[in-house]
Amino acid sequence: MKKVLALVLAAMMLLGMMPFALADGVVSVTIPHYKTGENVGAIFFLPQVERFNALYEGKYHIEIEELTQDMYADKIQQLGQQRKLPVLVEGGNTEWIKNVVIPNNLFTDLAPFLAEHKEVADLLIESNLAYNTTEDGKVFSVALPVIRPMGMYYNGEMIDLGGKTPAEMSWDEFTEALGDNKIAFMTGENAWTTTLAFSSMIAVEEGGAELLRSHTIDKLYDFNQPAILNAVAKLQKILQNYASSNTVGAVYADAANAFMSKNAAVIANGSWMVGDFAEDGGKWSNGFDGSTVHGAVLPGNVALANTDGFGWWIPANASDAEKELGMAFIAFMNTPAELEAYMLAEGGVAPNLKVSDEYTEKAKASGLMYEYVNAVNADTIICPSFGDCVPSSVGDQEFGKLLPQLIDGTLTPEAFCAELTAAAEETRLN
Amino acid sequence: MARVQYSKLDRRHFPKIYLFLLPTLILFAMFYLWPIIQVLFTAFTKWDGFNSPKFDISNPFVNFLQLFKMRGFMPSLKNLFWWSLIAMTLHVGIGTLVGFLLAQKLKGWKFVRAVFMIPNVISSAAWAMIYRFIFNKDFGLLNGIIRTVNPNFAVNWFYESPAAFWAITFTWLFYAVIVTLIVLADLMAIPQELHEAAEIDGASGWKKTLKIDLPLCRNSIGTGVILSITSRIAMYENIALTSRGGPGNDTMGLAVLLVKSINDYNYGLANAIALMMFVFGILVMLLINRVFRMNDPVY
Repeated sequence: MKKVLALVLAAMMLLGMMPFALADGVVSVTIPHYKTGENVGAIFFLPQVERFNALYEGKYHIEIEELTQDMYADKIQQLGQQRKLPVLVEGGNTEWIKNVVIPNNLFTDLAPFLAEHKEVADLLIESNLAYNTTEDGKVFSVALPVIRPMGMYYNGEMIDLGGKTPAEMSWDEFTEALGDNKIAFMTGENAWTTTLAFSSMIAVEEGGAELLRSHTIDKLYDFNQPAILNAVAKLQKILQNYASSNTVGAVYADAANAFMSKNAAVIANGSWMVGDFAEDGGKWSNGFDGSTVHGAVLPGNVALANTDGFGWWIPANASDAEKELGMAFIAFMNTPAELEAYMLAEGGVAPNLKVSDEYTEKAKASGLMYEYVNAVNADTIICPSFGDCVPSSVGDQEFGKLLPQLIDGTLTPEAFCAELTAAAEETRLN
Repeated sequence: MARVQYSKLDRRHFPKIYLFLLPTLILFAMFYLWPIIQVLFTAFTKWDGFNSPKFDISNPFVNFLQLFKMRGFMPSLKNLFWWSLIAMTLHVGIGTLVGFLLAQKLKGWKFVRAVFMIPNVISSAAWAMIYRFIFNKDFGLLNGIIRTVNPNFAVNWFYESPAAFWAITFTWLFYAVIVTLIVLADLMAIPQELHEAAEIDGASGWKKTLKIDLPLCRNSIGTGVILSITSRIAMYENIALTSRGGPGNDTMGLAVLLVKSINDYNYGLANAIALMMFVFGILVMLLINRVFRMNDPVY
């Protein structure tokens, strides 16, 4: 009896370890993703996967394996090294994709898929498609055709902008209007909120926006440049005078908490945070209910967006049946109904999509989201963020690691830039 | 040491013994030996982790030269030296002391042993997060206590020099339960007759500890020293989840540099660091083995 039980258990374990199984003709796959659990992206993504599963019931089924956002790129990279990439991958580490995945043909060419699905191809953002097209004409990935310029949120109850919007103010004017109020900065993790604000400070410097735009592919290694030096000097001043008290060592949750508990009046972040910041978000404290939160572009009329990015791709190691599933999911995500639902949930604009009247009505009714998305105007400087333009260990680790010393004055802006430059140089392969 | 003589009967059992050892040897070869050989080889190559490693005969030590150019390398060696020193003295000292106290079997000793175990079942990552709160500048427990005496005290422990070094040290210093358990097991195994004979000769409790227990625990203390120093060589989470090696490179460690190199697709360099960590570990083992005469019989 024990032997039988042991055999059954061993067989169950083996089955559980199999990445996919064909049962009753259903192609079923498990893909790791970070848009799960408490991640804000889960609010839209998980129901979307369920909608896909319902639509293709009996044919395809996707299971999501939970990962934290910080771990996602590393995990994908590890799976890539083991040649065990999941059937669908969203993005990944840029350098790894450029240096390893594309040169080694570890991906499925999506050009035939786009030729077959003209309705998807027509929606794609031209520059993004060009970024994803290899020299030999293969299409590496399909990114959603939605631009989501990143700006910031501020608590209108705490600060009086004198009838102006942040877009009409410089950082100096904006911080002056802040008075004693603080900005939710952070130095932990990848210093996300600080990086966004810093990016806008670079963008408003002479040649700054062009500098950022020109380094999404060939990364920036020299930070001893006037635009960056001036921006660092400004950042230092602002960090020293307007950073929330928990900034040093703060991870994103700490920064968000500072904003939601009225310990900071401003936080830089993307439109996908509307779900958290919306009035019924339920995460507010200190007598703050979020009703006075406004969405805006960053001071200097800067919004951050990088169309040079990788989207969903299908690894070459997937079986034909799995590839079909992967392509069906990509096509599903790019249907007008799904794109509209996505924009309503996470914001953004799809330049090549003719939106329905129903969508427009719902968007207007969404309040904060509508305000956030429509803060971008014809004069807005749109450019990639600093993190998009630097080697990954510089953006993810070194920048945040050096910030405490910039704050306490141990590092001058010049020394800070020199340290960043040295750190970037260390990332180069011999 | 005299060579062991095996009887004919013993020899007849050898095939069975080797057969039982075989699975372990295969697993060791697959999951330890082969990766170690790979690390050894690739440490001398340029390798991005995916394409084939490239060995340059004109410059075989390219990764090691680059390693010495890394700004974090020398500070990480300096930190390793100091942390090893603290580990082998204070950390092992605390573990041994607790082991000796528990061996007295005072009332509730089993409960104390279990409580002392608790930090070890919590992951280093979780501890690092807890310590971020303990050492928080504004509402941290430590600053709170100090402010009762000095109201203006405000040190950002993980992010200021030289406090960061000590803050990182505190994340592991007191958790010496492994040392305690090894020493305790050795203490429990000491034949009671030795103590009784000493008592008849009029030895005091302190003298028994000093002349009987401590020398007989030589091996376990030596093992504790090896374990605690090698843990410092491989220490990653405590640093990566708190100070990340900063401020500057004040709390940099070899494992942090290794992971950083992997993030930058410089696997050759990462394996050069791994090789260095491996060599340090072996050296520590040899040295401690000799200092504590661990190969000599205790009884």
